[in-house]
Amino acid sequence: MSAVAPAQAGSHGFFAMLAPGGRRALFILAAIAVCLLFAFPIFWLVLTSLRPGSGVYYVHRGTEFTIENFHEVLSQPVVLKALWNSFAISTLATIMSLGVTVTSGYMLSRFKGPIPNTWFSLIYVFRCVPYVSWVLPLYFVTLKLGIFDTYWGLLLPHVAVHICFFSWIMKGFFDGIDPSMEYAAMIDGCSRWGAFVRVALPSAIPGLTALAILCWLYTWNEFLFALILTSHETPILTVVMAQFVHELGMEWHLMSATAVLALGPALIVTLFGQKYVIRGLKV
Amino acid sequence: MAPRGFLRLSEKSWFMLALIAPALLTLVLFQVIPIVVGANTSFRDWSLHDPKRTWVGLGNYAYVLGDSEFLRIVLPNTFGFMFATVLCSLVLGLLIALMLNKEFAGRRLIQSIILLPLMVAPVIAAIMIRWMFNDQFGIVNAILDVFGVAPIAWLTQRWTAFLVILLTDVWLWTPWFALILLAGLQSLPPEPFEAAQIDAASPWRTFRYITLPMLRPVIVVCVVIRSIDAFRTFDIVWTISGGGPARATEVFSIYAYVESFQFLNLGRGSAAAVIGAIIIVIFAMVLYRILNRFVEVSR
Repeated sequence: MSAVAPAQAGSHGFFAMLAPGGRRALFILAAIAVCLLFAFPIFWLVLTSLRPGSGVYYVHRGTEFTIENFHEVLSQPVVLKALWNSFAISTLATIMSLGVTVTSGYMLSRFKGPIPNTWFSLIYVFRCVPYVSWVLPLYFVTLKLGIFDTYWGLLLPHVAVHICFFSWIMKGFFDGIDPSMEYAAMIDGCSRWGAFVRVALPSAIPGLTALAILCWLYTWNEFLFALILTSHETPILTVVMAQFVHELGMEWHLMSATAVLALGPALIVTLFGQKYVIRGLKV
Repeated sequence: MAPRGFLRLSEKSWFMLALIAPALLTLVLFQVIPIVVGANTSFRDWSLHDPKRTWVGLGNYAYVLGDSEFLRIVLPNTFGFMFATVLCSLVLGLLIALMLNKEFAGRRLIQSIILLPLMVAPVIAAIMIRWMFNDQFGIVNAILDVFGVAPIAWLTQRWTAFLVILLTDVWLWTPWFALILLAGLQSLPPEPFEAAQIDAASPWRTFRYITLPMLRPVIVVCVVIRSIDAFRTFDIVWTISGGGPARATEVFSIYAYVESFQFLNLGRGSAAAVIGAIIIVIFAMVLYRILNRFVEVSR
């Protein structure tokens, strides 16, 4: 579609006046600006994390670099524990969320009538409820259930967070799969459940992979639930990081190092699953 | 249609219920029950250091709705933030999507780069931006210094602090808009564009009268999803300004959190949370109606 050349800004007169070369230069400039805009903050964070504590305040001047910050951060047991906890909870939450929502999305996609309609409106309404409105009392609920500050106490609420949105997206995946194969399987004596597990589920695997990556990232990056539902027993990386800001009087070099550590796994997951991530975003 | 009566449901209805049972159970336990508990708390005098739990009726609601902090600062902040962030990231995202829709060398690279913000935790993004906008040592002031601008104390004034928060959110979410809109652009049929080219329509007119109307359903879905999420923003505001200076950048989520866990008045915090939930659910329902109408018209 390169011949169509959609307008970049609203001014076609301006574009028409430019020679083809000028237009090209402007385009390249815009491309560079976009790259800079989105990559620079991350680049700056990495750079800060590599500066020694003494040089951190003038990141743009000095030339000393060190990996001492990473040593120092990783020697704190709480950071190590938080890294492991975040990893374990993200992975478990991904498996459980997908397991719970895949059937729900399939149901929304394949059936019509009062039950799917009710379920869909329920999901839509609960998706809109702000997190604060239920995470505050959730604190009491997990206390009462005796799972506050444990894996379960964070894991199950995370699954609940994902149910509404993921059911919605899963419905979209199944909508894109032709149901006639399932009908054929059922005519051949397959049960409803068999048609779902043996026919529909395998065709949905690319979609599931995409959603798994997104789910892992969401959980890994989540802050509010971790802040309220965990304490000293189950430190979570995002919370530990935010505490650096408020308690240690801004040790920017250590904080950047922690942030880079948190970024690493997310970066690896995204780069390897780029194709799937983009696919999963197509609501 | 399932027959009436619970036990006389058809085999098909039982299958439907079985499919949603795990999701429904989790939803009830960890979302519906907490919401009910929260609503109950909001009617009681429930401070965390002295939980009397006496019934005060609508007292907490009256307090929150009469609090000038909530009315004059929190609500305008929340809606202003929602509107500004959605508008900015939509426009920027659309421009980037149009750019990536052309074939050129380095297109893949740009696409990978704009994926970066999607994997950055909002907390990390907030820390990053906060460091860049640090009044003494931040790179932004250092760059401004080159142009002879005096250092700006970004986080000590309401509007500059608000701007920094807005910038962070736009940075985080523009790529999301860009990638979804790009997918939308790529799935448009080529015929209208070919026709426009034969008629020698200008790029702007092609965009205005063909691309934009055809893309409208995707845009509307994005805007609805993003508006609802922007309403409940917590992490970036909390990490960048903590609601400060002096509560001037508090949004609704921060207000509920601060009332509950810093002023230790859980009753008031819950009442604020319920008020916010009611506002956004009504808002979302109206949006949903609009969404449905748009999608139907465009088909």
